[in-house]
Amino acid sequence: MLNRSLWWKVALVVGVLVVFTAAIIPTKNNSEPIRRGLDLKGGTHLVMRVNVGDALRLEVDQAIESLKNQSAKNNLPVPATRRIDDTTFVAVPPPGIGTAEYERLAKDYLPSFDMSRTAEGALQFRLKPASVAAIQRDTTDHVVETIRNRVDALGVTEPLIAPESGNRIVIQLPGVDDPARVKDIIKTTAVLQFRLVEGNPASDPKVALESVPANMKNEVEVLPGTREDELGRAAGVEYYAIRKIVPVTGTDLKTARVQKGRLGEPNVGFSLTPDGGHKFGDLTGANVGRRLAIVLDNKVVSAPRINSQISDQGVIEGNFTTQQASDLALVLRSGSLPASLTTLEERTVGPSLGRDSITQGVRASIIGFIALVIAVILYYRGAGINAILALLLNLVILLGMLALFKATLTLPGIAGIILTLGMAVDSNVLVFERIREELRDGKTVRAAIENGFSRAFGTIIDTHMTTIISALFLFQFGTGPIKGFAVTLLIGLAASVFTAFFVSRIIFDFWYKPQDRPREISI
Amino acid sequence: MQIFVNTNYDFVKWRFAAVAFSLIWILAGAGLFLKNGINWGIDFAGGASIVLKFRDAVPMNRLRADLKDATIQQYGKASDRALLIRLPQQGKESDLAGQVVAKLNHDLNPEASAGKLDLNFQGRDRLTDLLLMSDPDRRGTGPDAHAYYAKVAEAMINKRSELGLFTNMQQVTSVPGVTTGIARVIQEKTFLGAFNVLNQETVGPQVGRELQQKAIWAVILSTLAMGVYLWLRFRSPMFGVAAVVCIIHDVLVSLAFLAMIRGEFSLNIVAALLLIVGYSINDTVVTYDRMRENRRKLKTRMTLEEQLNLAMNQTLSRTILTSGSVVLVLIALLLFGGRVIHEFAWILLIGVIAGTYSTVTIVPAVAIAWNKWTGRKYDVAGPAARPKAEPTPPTPREEPTPRRRKAV
Repeated sequence: MLNRSLWWKVALVVGVLVVFTAAIIPTKNNSEPIRRGLDLKGGTHLVMRVNVGDALRLEVDQAIESLKNQSAKNNLPVPATRRIDDTTFVAVPPPGIGTAEYERLAKDYLPSFDMSRTAEGALQFRLKPASVAAIQRDTTDHVVETIRNRVDALGVTEPLIAPESGNRIVIQLPGVDDPARVKDIIKTTAVLQFRLVEGNPASDPKVALESVPANMKNEVEVLPGTREDELGRAAGVEYYAIRKIVPVTGTDLKTARVQKGRLGEPNVGFSLTPDGGHKFGDLTGANVGRRLAIVLDNKVVSAPRINSQISDQGVIEGNFTTQQASDLALVLRSGSLPASLTTLEERTVGPSLGRDSITQGVRASIIGFIALVIAVILYYRGAGINAILALLLNLVILLGMLALFKATLTLPGIAGIILTLGMAVDSNVLVFERIREELRDGKTVRAAIENGFSRAFGTIIDTHMTTIISALFLFQFGTGPIKGFAVTLLIGLAASVFTAFFVSRIIFDFWYKPQDRPREISI
Repeated sequence: MQIFVNTNYDFVKWRFAAVAFSLIWILAGAGLFLKNGINWGIDFAGGASIVLKFRDAVPMNRLRADLKDATIQQYGKASDRALLIRLPQQGKESDLAGQVVAKLNHDLNPEASAGKLDLNFQGRDRLTDLLLMSDPDRRGTGPDAHAYYAKVAEAMINKRSELGLFTNMQQVTSVPGVTTGIARVIQEKTFLGAFNVLNQETVGPQVGRELQQKAIWAVILSTLAMGVYLWLRFRSPMFGVAAVVCIIHDVLVSLAFLAMIRGEFSLNIVAALLLIVGYSINDTVVTYDRMRENRRKLKTRMTLEEQLNLAMNQTLSRTILTSGSVVLVLIALLLFGGRVIHEFAWILLIGVIAGTYSTVTIVPAVAIAWNKWTGRKYDVAGPAARPKAEPTPPTPREEPTPRRRKAV
């Protein structure tokens, strides 16, 4: 008969075995219980910087406009303004007029700016630090949201899109097989605007500007677009003078999709929200016969003539391939980015390289494990089997924990597993060598087992602690795959302590029961 | 089977020779670093790294002309027709690898400008779109049609992942699910591009700098943390100092080896170094533990040299066995783990061996020097004054040398 506490321990070990084995067996709903990292599965890891300066500049430009408009409304001469940097602008009142009136206006209409008077008698406005922080946060959140929409529309499974400190975003896209396209889609700002064209398009920006009536010259800007020949093919650059006022934008779109034009050419059809439709109807109704530019990211996609009033839907035609049209429809559906993105880091592993890596990694692990099993059993005979059982359980716990914590297994992670198994063997070796020593000192088998475990305890804790310390530093300072490695190592070390003291011990107790007074031990 | 039972080696005697050997090894490595410079990997130096697999013979002259400042090497076996292209940092943040791949794609695949789809470059979505627009099997435009073509496209792209890249159209059209109609569309509207991208990395200057700093801090701080832990655990600065010196030794020996094989200093190497910091110290901890235990039981006066020798001999069989089993596994990793992990495995292997070696040579050397410097206060270890904590007190030792009793 085994005593009761031993039964409880056996039950616990079997329970652990069952739970973790269940966690790593693939099921119908969960065909990949242990998530493979991008290096094993293939995919793209991107770190992007959100250029929040774009959003700050926009805020400052709007403030400048607002100050000018309010000045005009209050019958004050419009001050000369100048933007100094991303967060600051200066307003210079016309000579002879004090700053007092403008200060009053600014108090009412520019609450998010700090105001100060310069030595030259001008007013300097600087965005309050709290406002800057709020804009940065909102911009980053908005970018994350938009990228998430786009990635979801691409059908990437289990993407990770997370903001980081320093206005950065980390994007992980497992299993992507066309990284170039995905990056394009993510990075496209996709700011869509419908704006009226003044004058005539020309191949020279100066000529285009000259064709604009004199009184309108300050109301327009010149933007480039693609010139098309008679057959609709791209043929050089064309410049358009476009009104600065933006009556309808991409945010007024309800949806966008690819469709075929009259000649079977791909284009993007869109429909507008009720509010957007109202604005679009007003714009087109009042300007029949004129050209309306469709501007995407400050480039003119096309500038068709308005034939009649349009209110709720329309078509964007351009020299698109099917791919370009479908990508454009996708980014328009998912909304525009409030700021541009800069790639700081990219790591893309093609699916075939990932496949090679996992085959080789797993093969190396299996070969190493078998070599270990042979060596340990040769050296410790009966007790070697004990060590191997503990080792196998260790492996099951490690993989099970990875599955339950939804941790990611990376290539260095496989190396981490191998090293953990090395540590687990070490724990057993420490105990076994201690037992052998006790036996040499003439102890009975039971006493040798007792002493072997209790004396090795402190040493094993120390060896594990030192490795845990280095794993924690790996985790803290590591990125991507290295972090996965640290996680694997930490879990494995915990499992190793458990198996060495609990499991290995139980097996000894099971084989060499105290009441049997064993005289010999295979070690 | 038992080895190294009741040994009585005088490890301490060898310490000067060992220190000299380590110094020569490390200086040789340092000399190589000075001569060749540090081979910073892309993680730290920044820049781009691209691995391409080519359909036909590699157009080396074309590539060299296209990419003037790049270093181009063969990747894997010559028959793999794969290349590793490294580009230095450009000084500003950009999608460098992406731009280079786009340029090569433009230069090497003239068919793409005719509006054909490159089956060796583009993904399943594009292929699905193409099939859906052409609709050779008359499935209409509904979701069913999309699912139907998406499945075929996925099968084709999976086939490509398996092969690395397509070398002839036969490989594409023999994929299960490809009908004659689909095969015709594939023949008419797609082509097999010159290369497939196996791997592409860009590290901008900012990230590279940060990674460099992080890596250096990680190694320094974890070494110090280890020293502090051992100092506290063994309540003596001698252990902490000897352990830190031992770790620095192991790291430097591994780095010197990296210089000898002209390895690239990458993030994986830093991970390996951190692991060496944590793992190679284990042997030292085991020896210290044994020494501390012996001190409690000692009846006679014993010099530190004798204590060290005794503890090292007592733990020798464990040390050899444990390091041996880890070395065994690392050799498997080295031989079969593939080239991505090759240098990582090498550094770990050298680090583990260095860790064992330094335990029986460098650690005693530092401990003995420290002992002499502090007036030999570690020599005295007379009869234990404190009560014995062991549940079953061991038979007291009559003599300090290991016993010669038969094993069971």
